[in-house]
Amino acid sequence: MLRYQENNQLHRDFHGTTNTTLDYIADNYGVDALKSILQDTGEKVYKSIHDKLAAGDASELLEHLNWFYFREGAKYQLTVEPDEIKLEVFECPAIRHLKKMGLPVSKHACLQTSEVNAGMCKNTQWESSVEVIGEGHCIQTFRKKEC
Amino acid sequence: MIPSDHFVRFYNEVFKFLDARNGLEDYYLEISRHQEHHCLKHFMEKGLQGMEEYWGQIRVEENCIMSSEVVGDVRYSHMKKCPSLSKVLDNDAEPCEKYCLHCPGWVAPLMTKCGFYYIKYLRALDVPECGSVFSDNLEKISAIRQNLKRDGFKYIFDNFDQREEVEVNKQERLKV
Repeated sequence: MLRYQENNQLHRDFHGTTNTTLDYIADNYGVDALKSILQDTGEKVYKSIHDKLAAGDASELLEHLNWFYFREGAKYQLTVEPDEIKLEVFECPAIRHLKKMGLPVSKHACLQTSEVNAGMCKNTQWESSVEVIGEGHCIQTFRKKEC
Repeated sequence: MIPSDHFVRFYNEVFKFLDARNGLEDYYLEISRHQEHHCLKHFMEKGLQGMEEYWGQIRVEENCIMSSEVVGDVRYSHMKKCPSLSKVLDNDAEPCEKYCLHCPGWVAPLMTKCGFYYIKYLRALDVPECGSVFSDNLEKISAIRQNLKRDGFKYIFDNFDQREEVEVNKQERLKV
């Protein structure tokens, strides 16, 4: 069950504020600081997902990926195996909205995915990676580490 | 992607990081510049009515419980339940004590740029309820500020110290 239930209206312009923030932090405090904030978001805001992963339960992670990409109107494919979860996003809703608003996409945009995912997996038996195929197209992988 | 539903919880993490480095004020200015993309032309062309339209859309998209009205040359807004702070309080990560300050932090510079005086008032920073007043009538909004102070609001923010700039920008707006 999702810790944060979200079922009502969406304010997609927040993708623009995120984009501005990524650049601001990277430009003024460095990319490592940005990664640290994003990893903290993954570990602390998504504590429920993190703690379940640490206990070997990926159910909330799956629900989170499925619900929020669906809710944002993404075209995606989720493939689940016992030790691996793959999410291929064919058109990132955040990048799509930035383009709709006429805003340049931050060169750090994909860190919001890779570092938040890394934070969710931190100190658990799972690890994450993101392969960027093209702008707005990526494959996110969560894989159980070999013991 | 950070879902737009969860942006404010990320925002909260950013605030904690910046507050520890005394960096909130400069960041608010950056957000204010970003918000110009959505608001500046609209507010310059339509004034208080433009604000009603912009925040009317925000009310729907952000699921705000709020009311607002324009009475003559003053716009009043009362946020009965702020969805932004509500989410930050409903959060497994610790809330930034200064979370509410981001709102006057970006709105006040934008209002100065549009030639409006602005007040944000709250009784507490951990209760998702606040009010705002907008006007280009300094005498009227100053009287409203006095009343808010008398009514015991603990936190009152304004851009009255930017009076010269507000007045210059007001004249520019009236040309539009």
